[in-house]
Amino acid sequence: MIGASLSRWTMSYFSVALLSLLGAEALMVSGFGFPSRPITAPQTLVLVHLTVIGWLSLLMSGALIQFVPVLVAKPLAHPDLPAVALALLLIGLAGLIAGFLDIPGISSTSMPWLPFGAMVLSAGFVLNLWNLGRTLWSARPMGLPARFVVAGLVSLAGVVALGIVFSLTLARWTTSEVLTTLTAHGVALHAALGLGGWLGFTAMGVSYRLLAMFMLAPEEKRWTSRIALGAGTASIVVLLVGGPACLLFGLKLDHVLVVALLMASICVVLYGHDVVRLYRTRKRRHMELNTRMAAVALGGLGIAALLLLALAALGDVARYIGAVVFLVAFGWLSGLGLAKLYKIVAFLTWLQCYGPLIGKRATPRVQDLADEPRAMPWFWLYFASVGAASVAAFLDTPLVFRIAALGMLVATAGICAELVRIRTLKSVPTPMLPEGVQARPRLILPSLER
Amino acid sequence: MNGSSELVGRVREALREVIDPEIGFNIVDIGLVYDIALEEGGIVKVTMTTTTRGCPATDFLKDGAGEAAHNVEGVQSADIRLTYDPPWTPDMMSSAAKQYLGIR
Repeated sequence: MIGASLSRWTMSYFSVALLSLLGAEALMVSGFGFPSRPITAPQTLVLVHLTVIGWLSLLMSGALIQFVPVLVAKPLAHPDLPAVALALLLIGLAGLIAGFLDIPGISSTSMPWLPFGAMVLSAGFVLNLWNLGRTLWSARPMGLPARFVVAGLVSLAGVVALGIVFSLTLARWTTSEVLTTLTAHGVALHAALGLGGWLGFTAMGVSYRLLAMFMLAPEEKRWTSRIALGAGTASIVVLLVGGPACLLFGLKLDHVLVVALLMASICVVLYGHDVVRLYRTRKRRHMELNTRMAAVALGGLGIAALLLLALAALGDVARYIGAVVFLVAFGWLSGLGLAKLYKIVAFLTWLQCYGPLIGKRATPRVQDLADEPRAMPWFWLYFASVGAASVAAFLDTPLVFRIAALGMLVATAGICAELVRIRTLKSVPTPMLPEGVQARPRLILPSLER
Repeated sequence: MNGSSELVGRVREALREVIDPEIGFNIVDIGLVYDIALEEGGIVKVTMTTTTRGCPATDFLKDGAGEAAHNVEGVQSADIRLTYDPPWTPDMMSSAAKQYLGIR
């Protein structure tokens, strides 16, 4: 098989991910968690995990089960395993959130939600890691984007392992001195590996390929890309190995974090250089909405990286880290995710509805399923609101942040409505509508027939 | 023009009805069809590629090209073969496709 098949569960991952994003934004509007509450408050932990697992990790997992086969030109090792993984991830996330709310001062029940949630969640991630890992392993030697994904998956394994340790320690299921030390001082490692290694590095790898595909830009083997891969991987290894080792030997974690930050900065600069080059050398002169918005998201990454370096130089990271993380999560990763969703949902819907009709009758283009002028204002509102919310988080003005978060919520709801329009073929002229069973694809669940 | 080249020409025209969904232009002008050959017994052999190796639309495009070729009068069966040697590049597009995409 040379081609990759259509992933049956990707749309389910995307749907749940978008619901989680809407939920997280609604919580921010209501003043739940950061910046209205401290960064270590249980409410903030709920908000962070709903965003990072419920939204970003499900989005990334759904994208990977579709695009890893594209990256390596091999079918997914276990096509239906993602359904089991999704169920475990959702149950685990619910358990984890219940566990955070169970921390004294919020509410108290006898159920050990935190370790239960962490273990079920880990089982879900492990299933996807196994599935994607086997698919990638079968396609050695791998190309550059796939190697980014491998490093991202290794990072995810580290995040999951640390998460289990934290939950067992916090639930007092273990009193091991080593694990207690890791829990007390390892949160920065957990966050850096999760946001930077798993989500960030994987997004970089996937975007190398997607941007080249969608803009018809040449995918040249460049030294900048190879060094970006090397520096990013080194950063992940430093965090994964050096971080715990430092803590176990009683050394301060700061040096490890600074080295990892420097390596990651090299990676980000070279990645940025490569992406700008992809835009400049694209053959397709007209840029679609998704590529324009991806460029705005990349700007968010650039600003966040500069801010983090400046704060590290000034020794003021701890005070503003919440705002920087917000900009990375919502400005870059979420912005890029929403932009690419707009394209990927149209592409998958087209394949579902019109793929079987190729050669039998005239078919519309993928672009005909989307109505870019309608969707564009929502994207601009989203990025403007994220910008305002980031400034509010830096200036520690929670009320302004909540108003800006309302803008994000409205914009995301607008983008979701546009995605539903794509799925229901609302923009396709009547004569071009497909006939028969595939005329209206299911929004969330896959059709059971193959 | 003899009979076989005329049939190949009609198959080529039929394949122009098949569009690459992402680019939105027909697979012949994009340069995805590398060769069309007529063999004995009305068998048409089409050698084609896709813009990206591993593209999820590959099987649909292959089946669609087969369907379009098979529907041409005089064609008994169509054998569609995929190849990535050489890999497709935008330079393989016809001037009409390049103009459509704004490629100079």
